[in-house]
Amino acid sequence: MPKITIDGKEIEVPKGTRVIEAAKQLDTHVPYYCYHPGLSIAGNCRMCLVEVEKIPKLQIACHMEAQDGMVVHTNTEKVLKTRQHVLEFLLLNHPLDCPVCDQAGECWLQDYYMKHGLYDSRLNEDKIKKPKAVPVGPTVMLDAERCILCSRCVRFTDEISKTSELGIINRGAHGEISVFPGKELNNPYSGNVVDICPVGALTDRDFRFKIRVWYLKSKDTLCNGCARGCNIQVQYNTDRPHHGKGERVKRLKPRYNENVNKWWMCDEGRYGYKYHDHNRIETPLRRIGGKVEEPAWDEILRDLAQKIQNARNKIAVFLSPQLSNEELFLAQQIFKDSLQAKHVVLVSPNPPGFEDDILIRADKNPNSRGAEAFGYKEENIKSAAAVRDCEAGAVEGVVVFGQDLFEHLSHMNIRAAFEKVSWSAFIGSNHSVTSEWAEMVLPAATYIEKEGTFTNFEGRTQKFNQVLEPLGESKPEWKILIELAKALGIHLHFDRTEEIFDEMVLKIPYFKGLTYEKVASEGGHELPQMAAPTIPDLEQAEGLL
Amino acid sequence: MEKLISKYFVTGKTFGMDEYLADGGYEAARKAFEGFDPKGLIEEVKKSNLRGLGGAGFPAGMKWSFIPQNTGKPVYLVVNADEGEPGTFKDKYILNHVPHLLIEGMIIAAYANQVHKAYVYIRGEYVGPHRTLVRAVEEAYAKGFLGKDIFGKGYALDIVVHRGAGAYICGEETGLLESLEGKKGFPRLKPPFPAVVGLFNCPTVINNVETLSYLRFILERGADWFSKLGSEKNGGMRLFSVSGHVKKPGVYELPLGIPLKDIIYDHADGIRDDRKLKAVVPGGLSAAILTPDEIEVGMDFDQLRAKKTMAGSAGVIVMDETTCMLKALLVTMRFYAHESCGQCSPCREGTSWVYRILKRISKGRGRSQDIKNLLDICSFMGGTTICALADGAAMPLRSYPEKFKEEFEHHIQNGKCDSPDCPIAEDLVTA
Amino acid sequence: MIETVFKPEIKKQAEAIMARYETKRASILEILRLVQESCGYVSTEAEEAVAELLEIPAIDVHEVVTFYTLFYRKPKCKTRLNVCRTLTCALAGGDRILDHLEKKHGLRPGEAREDGSVSLQTVECLGACEIAPMMQLNDSEYIGPLTPEKIDQVLERK
Repeated sequence: MPKITIDGKEIEVPKGTRVIEAAKQLDTHVPYYCYHPGLSIAGNCRMCLVEVEKIPKLQIACHMEAQDGMVVHTNTEKVLKTRQHVLEFLLLNHPLDCPVCDQAGECWLQDYYMKHGLYDSRLNEDKIKKPKAVPVGPTVMLDAERCILCSRCVRFTDEISKTSELGIINRGAHGEISVFPGKELNNPYSGNVVDICPVGALTDRDFRFKIRVWYLKSKDTLCNGCARGCNIQVQYNTDRPHHGKGERVKRLKPRYNENVNKWWMCDEGRYGYKYHDHNRIETPLRRIGGKVEEPAWDEILRDLAQKIQNARNKIAVFLSPQLSNEELFLAQQIFKDSLQAKHVVLVSPNPPGFEDDILIRADKNPNSRGAEAFGYKEENIKSAAAVRDCEAGAVEGVVVFGQDLFEHLSHMNIRAAFEKVSWSAFIGSNHSVTSEWAEMVLPAATYIEKEGTFTNFEGRTQKFNQVLEPLGESKPEWKILIELAKALGIHLHFDRTEEIFDEMVLKIPYFKGLTYEKVASEGGHELPQMAAPTIPDLEQAEGLL
Repeated sequence: MEKLISKYFVTGKTFGMDEYLADGGYEAARKAFEGFDPKGLIEEVKKSNLRGLGGAGFPAGMKWSFIPQNTGKPVYLVVNADEGEPGTFKDKYILNHVPHLLIEGMIIAAYANQVHKAYVYIRGEYVGPHRTLVRAVEEAYAKGFLGKDIFGKGYALDIVVHRGAGAYICGEETGLLESLEGKKGFPRLKPPFPAVVGLFNCPTVINNVETLSYLRFILERGADWFSKLGSEKNGGMRLFSVSGHVKKPGVYELPLGIPLKDIIYDHADGIRDDRKLKAVVPGGLSAAILTPDEIEVGMDFDQLRAKKTMAGSAGVIVMDETTCMLKALLVTMRFYAHESCGQCSPCREGTSWVYRILKRISKGRGRSQDIKNLLDICSFMGGTTICALADGAAMPLRSYPEKFKEEFEHHIQNGKCDSPDCPIAEDLVTA
Repeated sequence: MIETVFKPEIKKQAEAIMARYETKRASILEILRLVQESCGYVSTEAEEAVAELLEIPAIDVHEVVTFYTLFYRKPKCKTRLNVCRTLTCALAGGDRILDHLEKKHGLRPGEAREDGSVSLQTVECLGACEIAPMMQLNDSEYIGPLTPEKIDQVLERK
């Protein structure tokens, strides 16, 4: 393995390692725009020029491979001066419209100007005009004047989404990012080009002008949009309800995980967050003779427990692959082991959808594989049996976990069957036809309002974190289940999800050997020493935002 | 002085196959097969000190020796006939008058590098030269000098003549390869070099038209003879394209190392109307200009480099005393702004900025710090990019204000100079 | 789309061109030239047809068409005057030639007569400095050294 010296520090790196990555391993940040570890090397921004001994010209660290005995200097006067002038070139025709630019606050031009620029403008000429605020597709807005032509977005559509909608047209200083006339940037991954655009050239039409980024808080979690379990950040704000119509969640961003989603996420997941703040069930509800009451939690739990006990085992429970492993475990302990309910079946709230060989899975649930570990698999024959027993009067009550069954099982004539049962309970986060019908409605938190683990399609168990407080009076299903168990007189001694997890690991062979810590870190907490998709960590750490 | 290539430059005449054969044509190519193995041929060319005459001046034989053989991949020969360096028009003469000389050189180079398929990349504007070359290639196929079994030696060689479509950057060898692969002419990052990863990811030899056209003579009379024609390490002769304020513009074939002064005054017959010389571009637009007290310099790659300019493409542009140097530089920089591919930020932004500054000065709105800024931009534009276009812009950009400082200062202060070409016509400054 | 641009005869020619190259894509400049010769210019529709023919993304064709200077994106005029403006021609009084042409045709560089008769364009060095100042007529013939009188003669002849 070649040994290389960077700014006096020696490091041994695998053959083929680029100098820019070797430097990162030494905590030396060489600035760059066009370089992205997930894309091919373009070497066009020239920001990462460094001095290499025995080579007269400065070399770009993103392209140069570390060679044994190579001695690199990243902060000599020549390097710093060149860097400053490269920035001057990059900013030369930039409109400096930061006050109205959505990128402000997470703009690499701003950051690097503060760190490597700090020169006085010498431009006395007119700036070159280019198209501004061009909607290049349903999700992305282009401002060609802000663009530094780093070609990251072009390479993304060529190499990752493989849709090749973007290109650089014209020549020289008149070059600009463009779609083909009359076509648009519209692919299942289009939002990623906004993440990797280091400047304000590509902004997110969904996020535009919602809120200044410095008001955003961010928390790591997973996406629940499909069985992939992409690692993401939820970016939110709860202090400024006048921004973004009071929505707490402002945007989702992918988070690097080499094994799951690399630097990317799909648009379906990215823009599928609206339900956290819309159409939510915020209080327990009870329907008696056409009237709707809002009982207290302990009242409705007591009521439900009573009904379950009276029904003995003549109940049908509809579990969901949207539930966490911990919740499925509790449900199993309560409904299967203790109550020996006649039917405990798994029903997906989402039909299978689009799939590709990039990230997107046809299974639109985050935890089907986890459910399998408990022996639950969505099987028509089982759901049909449960529905048939309802129809036949062999089931007294039903418990539904979030699914709009009237929608999903309509082919089984479920409404008529459910009319036959004497009581029903819906435990879920959002209103639906089923929740509007159920006698008892227990408001659940959405998954970003709780913590737990999902097992993705490959069998990788990852932890998701609570980002926000549950809305209104809603509670995570695992809490609801513990309280229900208590009301049923079933002894479950858990206060935290970690405790449920530990017990689950002991009892369910599939999870053997896992620890809560491990599933959290495999979820991508330890960002490898590579480029993050947004602002380099160092820049943030230095308080330059 | 004996002429080699240029003896065929007869006005209005193209040497067709029969005439070329009658003059001993294709004997050298045949000799290459009969008298040399590929390695020996490369050695012979190395010995001749033949330099790359497209502009870089890299020793041709050494370039060939970088080609890895037996990689399992084909080796390509690509002929650079993009001839875009302003002030250069010699390859056009070869293509127009004696295309078989190039084809013969290609056969020799192909054999030396074990190439079976060659491309000629000819600039799109060269409509006539393209037509002439295509016809010559057809003639060579008909004679069995190209095709499956050339000269009956069991060696196959195909030539495809390909036209560019208007982009100076495609004269840069990796920009050319990109273009030939059907893309924009964005130069490639190096390494890998084309010798290893070139056209269609295969090892590729890229040579200029003129370089290949000298091979016949090297084989006919020997590497030693050729080498001695020129100066130290600068073998042979080359074609100087002379234009500008001279009495007889044209192509002159002269030994490397000949004093610039001789080219201007003896061969091109001196300055028009016997005016005084003001400045000379010695090696194509991208070379730094020389002043009258520097024209004793020997015109080879090494001597010109020592003068902080370059031999380049041997395009000599002569400027007499009436020239407005600001206008000359403005026109020069407009070229680079127009031709920068736009890939690297220093070149994309720098060339366009410099042009806009000069335009402003030309309109009488110069500022006292402009010269300092120009020189400063120049030093960060050069040496920081993927290819040499920005270096080629930086070199003249530095030389004009350095060598004609007073004139530039005068221009900035007074908004114009005393040249009859000044003030600059408004039309000329439209981008 | 592809059939309207590549009519059978043109398609046959295109296929012969493509066969010379290792990849379909490599033939793009020659194919675009073929399209330009048969259609008079390269329209957006033609770009799409070329993309389909060469099996490459349409934006890649658009990049190529906008990068090189020899493609017309609007129907080309009957008489096309491409006047060199680079150093040797500028030294030889190229701006006076341009001035003459501008006045003669009432056009600025980059403009074309609405009736499609004449277009005027400045171009960078065409490699004919020995006949400076010069221009290229109708994308083919090099003419120089130019004087206003010579221009008038040449254009009358045409």
